[in-house]
Amino acid sequence: MSLAELRLAWRMLLRDWRAGELRILMLALIIAVTATTAIGFFSDRLQRAMVEQSAELLGGDLLLQSPREILPEWQARAAELNLAEAQVLEFPSVVLHGEALQLAGVKAVDARYPLRGQLRVALSPYGEEIRETRIPSVEEAWVEVRLLTLLGMEIGDWLELGETRLQVTRVLTFEPSAGGGFFAMAPRVMVNQQVLAAANVLQPGSRISHNYLFAGEDRALQAFQDWLRPQLEPSHRLLDIREGQPTVGAALERAEQYLGLASLVAVLLAGVAIAMGARRYADRHFDTTAVMRCLGAGQRRIMALYLPQLLWLGLIGSGIGVALAWLAQFVLFWLLGDLLPTNIPAAGWLPLWIGMASGLTVLAGFALPPVLRLRQVPALRVLRRELSPMPLRGWLVYGAALLALALLMWRYTGSALLTATVMGGAALALLILGSLAAGLLQLSRLMHRGVGVAWRYGLNNLWRRPLLSISQILAFGLTFMAMALIVLVRGDLIDSWQTQLPPETPNHFVVNILPEQRDAFAALLDQRAIAHSELYPLVRGRLAEVAGEPLGNRIQPGDEGAGAVYREMNLTWTDTLPAHNRITAGQWWPTGGPTDDVMVVSMEDRLAERLGVRLGDVLTFSFGAEQRQVRVTSLRSVQWDSFQPNFFMIFPEQALAGQPSTYMTSFYLPLERKGELTTMLRQFPSITIVDLDRLMEQVRSILGQVTLAVEFVLLFVLLAGFAVLYAALQASLDERLHEGALLRTLGASRRQLRSAHLAEFGLLGGLAGLMAAIGAELIAWLLYTRVFDLAYHWQWPMWLWLPGLGALLIGLVGYLATAQVLRHSPLAVLRRL
Amino acid sequence: MPTHPEKVSAIVSAQGLGKQVETAAGQLVILEDIHLDIAAGESVAIVGASGSGKSTLLGLLAGLDQASSGRIRLAGEWLDALDEDGRARLRGEQVGFVFQSFQLLPSLSALENVMLPLELAGHRDASTPAAALLERVGLGARLDHYPKQLSGGEQQRVAIARAFVMQPKVLFADEPTGNLDAATGQRIIELLFSLNAEQGTTLILVTHDDQLAGRCQRAVRLDAGRIVP
Ligand SMILES: Nc1ncnc2c1ncn2[C@@H]1O[C@H](COP(=O)(O)OP(=O)(O)O)[C@@H](O)[C@H]1O
Ligand SMILES: [Mg+2]
Repeated sequence: MSLAELRLAWRMLLRDWRAGELRILMLALIIAVTATTAIGFFSDRLQRAMVEQSAELLGGDLLLQSPREILPEWQARAAELNLAEAQVLEFPSVVLHGEALQLAGVKAVDARYPLRGQLRVALSPYGEEIRETRIPSVEEAWVEVRLLTLLGMEIGDWLELGETRLQVTRVLTFEPSAGGGFFAMAPRVMVNQQVLAAANVLQPGSRISHNYLFAGEDRALQAFQDWLRPQLEPSHRLLDIREGQPTVGAALERAEQYLGLASLVAVLLAGVAIAMGARRYADRHFDTTAVMRCLGAGQRRIMALYLPQLLWLGLIGSGIGVALAWLAQFVLFWLLGDLLPTNIPAAGWLPLWIGMASGLTVLAGFALPPVLRLRQVPALRVLRRELSPMPLRGWLVYGAALLALALLMWRYTGSALLTATVMGGAALALLILGSLAAGLLQLSRLMHRGVGVAWRYGLNNLWRRPLLSISQILAFGLTFMAMALIVLVRGDLIDSWQTQLPPETPNHFVVNILPEQRDAFAALLDQRAIAHSELYPLVRGRLAEVAGEPLGNRIQPGDEGAGAVYREMNLTWTDTLPAHNRITAGQWWPTGGPTDDVMVVSMEDRLAERLGVRLGDVLTFSFGAEQRQVRVTSLRSVQWDSFQPNFFMIFPEQALAGQPSTYMTSFYLPLERKGELTTMLRQFPSITIVDLDRLMEQVRSILGQVTLAVEFVLLFVLLAGFAVLYAALQASLDERLHEGALLRTLGASRRQLRSAHLAEFGLLGGLAGLMAAIGAELIAWLLYTRVFDLAYHWQWPMWLWLPGLGALLIGLVGYLATAQVLRHSPLAVLRRL
Repeated sequence: MPTHPEKVSAIVSAQGLGKQVETAAGQLVILEDIHLDIAAGESVAIVGASGSGKSTLLGLLAGLDQASSGRIRLAGEWLDALDEDGRARLRGEQVGFVFQSFQLLPSLSALENVMLPLELAGHRDASTPAAALLERVGLGARLDHYPKQLSGGEQQRVAIARAFVMQPKVLFADEPTGNLDAATGQRIIELLFSLNAEQGTTLILVTHDDQLAGRCQRAVRLDAGRIVP
């Protein structure tokens, strides 16, 4: 390829660009690159943030999480190996300021904290961030800014934690070993470990996470880990920096994968548009190519002219796409702002290169085959115009496209098997949905009789190219469906879940009620006429063996819920079968406990099924060092969403005798009476109240943010869909111009032609909307009835607004895009062709 | 609003017609100072060498394009007084076309092609007259065939049926036999003239076939965009 050829290719490219031949190719390429690269930038920055901060985040080189204090030998061993150690206690607790109260995640640190990284704080909300070298004193509490807002506090105000008062002196902006899990959603309060005794908030059986940080030399750390690992119980978690901080990740990582796959849909659609554009481009260059061949250009020469054009196009389009993606990822971060760590490092160069590479890959996969076809244009075409090169072989077109897609997808899934499964599944889904679209299209032909000529002509256009129409219905239908589902989940699903709860469904859980407070607390609730469920004792214990087998053998690989069983469970005892429970097998013991063998248990039936437990099996529970064996004498079905305290395992009192316990209950307090929580807490400082209403609010806002981000990506899918529509219009434009001119020659008015176009695109959009409604209804039904166990109600408004919106949107776009059919005089068009 | 009383009977009338287009090489004059009156029922041939401006003139007279100068009256209406939709209506009501390259709609069957002008004009029952006319041009057995499935001569017969189905006052034909072999062309010409006679249509025919021109009552000769005697 000589320099002169490159230059000629560039000039030809410019000429084609000016003639508008390349616009759709370029546009589609930009959409594809922007969609994938924005996700690329996004995950790159997130990953960087995680890597950069993992040591800091962990607060040490090694973190051991335990539900209890660890054995002194372990600490001794660490000291022996010269490892530094720090302790952090984490537990949920309600904090008060005046009348306001809030469930907070309390983190009690000792003077050695943190072993790695540094605390960062501000002296006022949103003030300048400074590095802090000490920990809070016994009179201080440092809090997240959220807590200030939630409680209406200012720096310098006093906060009540249990029986102590602490002055808020710092705003936490970054804390090593931020922890996570359920209570990470609650705003953080950091205190000195020495205040705990005075606060009197921790009781035996309270839900505490004991975190032990270790730091030291690599060899010593490794030796410690090797020594420790075999002794760990399932409820322990040992994290080192290399494993990173799992809690930041899991949900976001999955969201990232979904976003990535969604962006691939945009790529696929854009690819279709690119293929159509490239085809038209090639077709339009048949004549030029034939002439060049007459003038003596060989195949190599021809390719030397066209391939650099593609390359130029790819580089420019990808460049623009990458630049737009860089802007788009800011939007993503902004949308997800509250869910993400505050200080995210800038993106690296890698996503940029990957973006460029994806652009070229997409172009090669979708545009190369038609352009390669130019090689075979016969010279004789100058004399006989009907001579065209052999049509492309199907496998070449689809093979190239599939390869390009698989390459891109592999990037997100990171696994060849997963890529193959996803592609196979997608192909199957497309086949099924395609048939649905074909069915709808076929059905719409019933309209043929009832409409006027202009409409009929327009609709004919749709039916005449069924494959193209089906793929467009599919593209728009799927996009609309995804958007509709998101709207539905965000609004209706949560609403109907809440409204379908019976009135006075408990909206608060109370845990950590001490045995000696039990009667007084129940009396308080009754006295204030607060509807509440029974008070149940809670004993922490772990299921160790089932019928003599270690629990691990009984858990199916991939059983996601199994983790709950592995960890310590909440066990209870009672003689009365709780409401919302039903015995499905065996027998409940009489009041006063079983008459013969008291070492028995009643087990939840679905868990029993998962673990393969049968009536009469013996289960081994461990309570710290002690083990007890009980026989399963009944199975119960439990209504989990009753918002009553529910238990996997219920024992007779005798079977748990001697174990430390606290009590829990749930109650209903209407919104206007929330103020009473404060009095309750004043009277019982050690109890923990979980406000479900507030939790729901948080879930709702998280859901809101995540769905917004997904919608943002879907926007690209929609854009790509329009690119396909536009490309399809371009491909049929000559034909449309010609027919438009002919029709006008025959006396059709522009109004008639306009309504023909409106009919065509309106029906296209309407059918896509209808398909979206069918799909969304079906998925919503599955979600409601199978996943959330809610009574389903027909989403009828969707059946109106989806087809309506589709018809409007696509009708409008198609109408505008075909406007030029009306613009030229018929003679000019007839002459041109 | 006729300007000359003696021309009231003219169904097509052109006065000082000119057409220029802008090209990369500058202004190109295609037609210049054309005066022409064609009486109702008359058959006129427009002849001349290729590139002399015949098709352009035909297009202007039929209102398919706009003149750069001069005025045209078609079936009693001044074309410059009408907008594009007005001209479309006029075409639909008064004018029929036959083209060299047939210009059938590929997505419509023979019958549907012939029905089209009737339907565009809002006729209730389009299929009866359309089928009758196709019968008349000898394609009664091919109603449901698509243009692809018809030969060139057959396609042109469909086009002729489509042109006559509205019983136009004026029929414009641009080299209707140009794409056909001699024998087929001959049959098409016969058909055209006999239908023309049946309906009393005014026929304006572009051709460079002298024999065909000779069958018309009058010939107008164009040379480089001007009428020559
Ligand atoms: N829109 C146009 N732009 C440029 N040249 C045109 C245009 N329309 C017609 N011409 C030129 O005007 C001349 C007359 O064309 P035409 O009327 O088609 O001739 P004929 O039908 O007699 O062969 C031709 O040289 C043609 O190329
Ligand atoms: Mg001509």
